[in-house]
Amino acid sequence: MNGHATTAALAVEKLAVLHGEQALVRDISFAIPAGGVLTLLGESGSGKSLLAQAIMGNLPAPLRCEGRVVIGGDTTPAGDGRSRHAGWGRRLALLPQEPWIALDPTMTVRDQVAETYALVDGNPWRGARALAARALASLGLQDAARKYPFMLSGGMAQRVAFLATHAAGAPLMIIDEPTKGLDAQRRGDVLELLRAAQAEGMSLLCITHDIWLARQLGGQLAVMFEGAMIEQGDAAQVLAAPQQDYTRRLLAADPGSWPAWRDANPAPASGTIVQVDGVSKSFGRQLLFSGVDARIAAGEIVAVGGPSGSGKTTFGNIVLGLTRPDGGRVQRASELAPTAFQKIQQDPGAAFAPRIRLRQSLRDLVQLHGLDWTQLEALLTRMRLAPALLDRLPHQVSGGELQRIALARVLLMQPALIFADEPTSRLDPVTQQDVFALLLEHVRDKRCALLLVTHDSEIVDSVACRRIALGQHAMAPR
Amino acid sequence: MSTQSLSPDIVIDAPPARRFGRAQLAGMVLLGAIGLFALFGPWLVGIDPARQQLERFLEHPSLAHPLGFDQLGRDMLARLAHGARLSLALAAVSVLSAAIPGTLLGLLAAWRGGWLERVLAAFADAVLALPGLLLVLLLTAFTPGGFWPLYVGISLALWVEYFRVVRAASRILLASPHVEAARLLGFGPTHIVRRHLLPELLPRLFTLMRFGFAGAVLAMSALGFVGVGLQPPTPELGVMMIELLPYYGEAPWLIGAPVLTLFLTLLGLLLLAPEREVA
Repeated sequence: MNGHATTAALAVEKLAVLHGEQALVRDISFAIPAGGVLTLLGESGSGKSLLAQAIMGNLPAPLRCEGRVVIGGDTTPAGDGRSRHAGWGRRLALLPQEPWIALDPTMTVRDQVAETYALVDGNPWRGARALAARALASLGLQDAARKYPFMLSGGMAQRVAFLATHAAGAPLMIIDEPTKGLDAQRRGDVLELLRAAQAEGMSLLCITHDIWLARQLGGQLAVMFEGAMIEQGDAAQVLAAPQQDYTRRLLAADPGSWPAWRDANPAPASGTIVQVDGVSKSFGRQLLFSGVDARIAAGEIVAVGGPSGSGKTTFGNIVLGLTRPDGGRVQRASELAPTAFQKIQQDPGAAFAPRIRLRQSLRDLVQLHGLDWTQLEALLTRMRLAPALLDRLPHQVSGGELQRIALARVLLMQPALIFADEPTSRLDPVTQQDVFALLLEHVRDKRCALLLVTHDSEIVDSVACRRIALGQHAMAPR
Repeated sequence: MSTQSLSPDIVIDAPPARRFGRAQLAGMVLLGAIGLFALFGPWLVGIDPARQQLERFLEHPSLAHPLGFDQLGRDMLARLAHGARLSLALAAVSVLSAAIPGTLLGLLAAWRGGWLERVLAAFADAVLALPGLLLVLLLTAFTPGGFWPLYVGISLALWVEYFRVVRAASRILLASPHVEAARLLGFGPTHIVRRHLLPELLPRLFTLMRFGFAGAVLAMSALGFVGVGLQPPTPELGVMMIELLPYYGEAPWLIGAPVLTLFLTLLGLLLLAPEREVA
């Protein structure tokens, strides 16, 4: 046992994750002091989640693990993941990403938290329920105690999941992508939650690609790239003066540091693609919006803004003709074919037929419209996608690659208007910048209009010519 | 809380999994053997199952006649082979004629929605309100002992499950982003059904068909057993059971043969289940 093991909440020594002979993660060593925080920053595919799984002792079957993991002074061989299972919830806990999916949909919030108090911590059920109620109240969730997960907002679900994983008093928590897909307001809530945990004396290992979060959390920062830790140090220092090329690229990909695309490419406001007059839509008794007017011209980038639930996606679908408005009129330029209106979806994994190989899906498209396969190949090359990827099923390709394939598929149709619905909210900054660069390049060269929904106001500031604001009617009676 | 869910941020090509589990292989072998027996048995035995040699009634098994003779001196193996052929063929035909219209109507209802869906769903619920066996009894009451009422009755009772499963699953699939993307890209219904719906539906349909097949074999035997299905002297498994029950004391192998055939068929069908069931 070496020196820091006695004081560190978590120490990892020479950890590697292997698949056959191939090292997916290699030579990882770090230590988190008790009460400290380490943020692991890296793009998807860099191995940061594998590292977390290795520490938990929860790697999928074909993967092997080497090195040592020291938790609260107890050293275990990294390969013996089972030895760390007994400590789950008590000594180390994991807050999964997108916790609203991880919560049990059939249990009330209070019971879900009480379950950890009763089954992991060994309290009697009655006491566990009281403890759960108190814990919920401490995070301002007393009114949610009897609700089911689907009745909660994303931020509330995250706090509930935090309580459920934390209930047995684990002093060390691994947090996986806590801000993935959240808007600025909710990201602030997450930060507050993590800071409160830190104030209680917990040690945190936070896995993220959110540079803003890394900056706010402070503490230690480690940058992962292709399975290795390429830079490690004090967060403020690494962010201010990155030593590695890749870290610099990662930081430059943060939308806050994008050059203003709009100023460099003033949009020519001619050639109306879509004219929207006084459109309204409601779901049941809930009025989403009414009296929305908009004109979208060729080559224009228009952002749709508004709080979540204000009907941004619905508005885009109305423009595309996927949804019929309750009132008002949508006029699409008459010379355009229906396929000139395309959409890029938030979750690329859901945008392809799940059991059909990508090559087949794309071949069907090329065949249907009598297109040229070489044209598609050229697009894929431009997006730096290996042709071999097409022989996989959609779920076997990473989100960033799949989104680029989805983009290629859309561009192949020579669209006049693309509705991009949170196109990069599930991607890491470098891939996000890539996807936007490709999208914007097409907008400029082909004078295609772009209707953009994103929660990231920095992206809007950088690229959008105009905004359509929804949501001011949300509370008003009809 | 559910189990840990970390993002799969590295995609690993899984080692090629075994296509079939051990139990599935056993089920296939079993069903294959029974299928071959039903298909070629009658021809291999080569004896008319209706030919009576009354002097040899309840004769014990011998090399020439491995299952002996029944109460009317008919060769038991010949009767068993013909019975298996009839029962299995009838079950297969009724399952297919329930699955095909059920699936098509389910797709139609999910696709069109509106009044058509409501009418079809109401009709399906009405059929479901009647116990399936009762429906068959009702039909056979008009023409007792016939083949057609049995077939129509069993199909009519079974199509509802396919309809309901296909409609429910298709509605979810049709609202999914990948179908939305396909529509925007200009694909029509044929493509969407073939590439987006069927690949998802087939595993579930397969499960339903296995249970439906087992149910049809059982229903037919049950109807034969209570005397409203096919009538003697037709060699059908259920009819044979009721005919041979009184001779259980003297010749237990006689009633044992159709019972065992039915049991092994159902066992084979159950073993065929994929290791991870989807339905």
